[in-house]
Amino acid sequence: MNRHMPIPILAVSMLLTLPVALGAVETGTQASEPQPQAHNNHRGPKQLVLENGLGAKVTLWKPDLTTQPVTPEHGMFTMPKTGMDNYHAVIAERDWGNLKETVIRYEYQFGKPSKRSPSELAGTVKTDFEIIPDPIPREHYRYHSNETWGFLLRLHGEPAQNIPVSFESENGSQMKSVTDERGYVSFRLPDDFPDIVPGERDRRSAGFTITAETENAGITYQTMLTADYRVAPEHWQSTQLGLLVAGIGLITGGLIGRVKLQGGKKK
Amino acid sequence: MSSIANLSVIRKLVQIATFVFFVYGGLITGYYLEDKISNALPALSCAYDKNGADLCTLIPIQHQMDHRLGEAIAKGGNLMMGIMPTLITLGTFLLFFVFLNKAFCGWVCPLGTFQEFLHMIGQKIGLNRRESLDNGLVNRIRPVKWFILLVLVFGFPLLTGMGMVNHDLGDPFCRICPSRILTTLATGDSSQVFVDTANSTTIFFSLLADFLFGLMVALALTVRQPFCRICPMLAMHAIFRKIGLLKLVKSGTPRCDRCGLCAKACPMDIREIHTDMERRDVTFEDCTLCGRCVEFCPDKDVLKLKYTFFPVFTSSPEYFKSRKKAQTKWEKANLIDWLKKGRGKPQVENP
Repeated sequence: MNRHMPIPILAVSMLLTLPVALGAVETGTQASEPQPQAHNNHRGPKQLVLENGLGAKVTLWKPDLTTQPVTPEHGMFTMPKTGMDNYHAVIAERDWGNLKETVIRYEYQFGKPSKRSPSELAGTVKTDFEIIPDPIPREHYRYHSNETWGFLLRLHGEPAQNIPVSFESENGSQMKSVTDERGYVSFRLPDDFPDIVPGERDRRSAGFTITAETENAGITYQTMLTADYRVAPEHWQSTQLGLLVAGIGLITGGLIGRVKLQGGKKK
Repeated sequence: MSSIANLSVIRKLVQIATFVFFVYGGLITGYYLEDKISNALPALSCAYDKNGADLCTLIPIQHQMDHRLGEAIAKGGNLMMGIMPTLITLGTFLLFFVFLNKAFCGWVCPLGTFQEFLHMIGQKIGLNRRESLDNGLVNRIRPVKWFILLVLVFGFPLLTGMGMVNHDLGDPFCRICPSRILTTLATGDSSQVFVDTANSTTIFFSLLADFLFGLMVALALTVRQPFCRICPMLAMHAIFRKIGLLKLVKSGTPRCDRCGLCAKACPMDIREIHTDMERRDVTFEDCTLCGRCVEFCPDKDVLKLKYTFFPVFTSSPEYFKSRKKAQTKWEKANLIDWLKKGRGKPQVENP
């Protein structure tokens, strides 16, 4: 790495995201009946944007823990097809000498079953200072607003204790917290999507970043995790109504049982 | 034989253990789908339960119909590649199924266990319960499981993948499965009890799911195994039951004509166990291999649970007498009779 480059002032100047067109799966609310159409499972190659990533080394970690270098062009790159199903980690690292920057993103890729648990990928030390989702949303699941998710911070593979951690969402929310003795921190993802229409399904997504900084042996480490979250389904799924309908089913079942028993064989 | 050491008690203990394992076992096996045991279990262990140890085979089948086979048909792709994931899932299912056959229903399934325990609660609080359903009603109910298997597990997901119906019909059985609601509630997660107002499809299926769950809970208090009778997993088992190593075998005698206790004991009301004198393998399509018919058969060696060629449990007059006594004692004890004790004698009931 070029140790003579000026040190950036902003914490973690790089940013690793999905391009807007792909990141926001569907913009705007969707109230009407979905139209039948041949399935597009989003199984195609994923493109990622690396902002301010000049001079960064980008590495793709596969589910089987092998790695592959990736070369961004004009700040963008397509995740290479690995043929393996499950989470992959993309890590962009930049070494300024007395400052090391890292951006991490976990992305699901489709392929043949890898037979490897994402816990292996999460548990492996991939860089000096990293933020690890604890857990990563399970396969085929996503982050949603109004959910609380945990993250672990590791410095050289050891829990990073008492480190200030910042959360920022694309919709403008900001939160701060501090890691505990396990290096653990949690955030309740903000319900901050604008113009939500109650009762209507909303498939918008937005990005969030979690950043932290620490110093060790005279080196400053800055790290960032980027991910996307979606609108909470509770905006169009009512638990109260569900309980009411289950109650109606309960009463109906009780009545059926009572009516059918009259005149029938009883035990 | 001790009055409590009988096959039903052993089965209940196994059911409790498997319920705990399949509903909460993810805490041991792991959180991610890759950590689950098979992802093709022949019992309704639900993927929505994130603490579960495994998930039922109907989930990947719907997924594969939608995302693999349906898509391959729609795009004119390689059908063999489209069907291959389903064949692998079925192969995994069969690896398990061949060992226990339909006993996955009677001994392992968390939803079956839940219904049995609800029925026990119904008995203990003194509710009037149905000894057995009418033959006509049983006959009308039997085809429903095949309909659900063909239409909800295979049909709609396939049509979804082909782009002929909307995406919310990609996993219609999961949308109504009571195991989804039960297992998530059992882990303190109420997020699966909802009415989804996204569109008319989601409204219909979410209303049906919640109603069906409530209905099942109420019916299970007075009727044995209400949902099991329409469960598509029972139909899946029925297709492959001939290759299972555990079987229910009958050597009928002329005394069988006058008895019928086996059919009365059957929680699935399979009267053919009593009436069929021709077949030796009486593992009928609705059988869950619970073994109650064998327990309540009063004649020696007429009914047997056999594992390959080896009998593992056989009917006998001695066992029957002891079992009937235990059952009578068990059924005598209930809340209403206990409350009525001062006013009169509790009813003595039959198995």
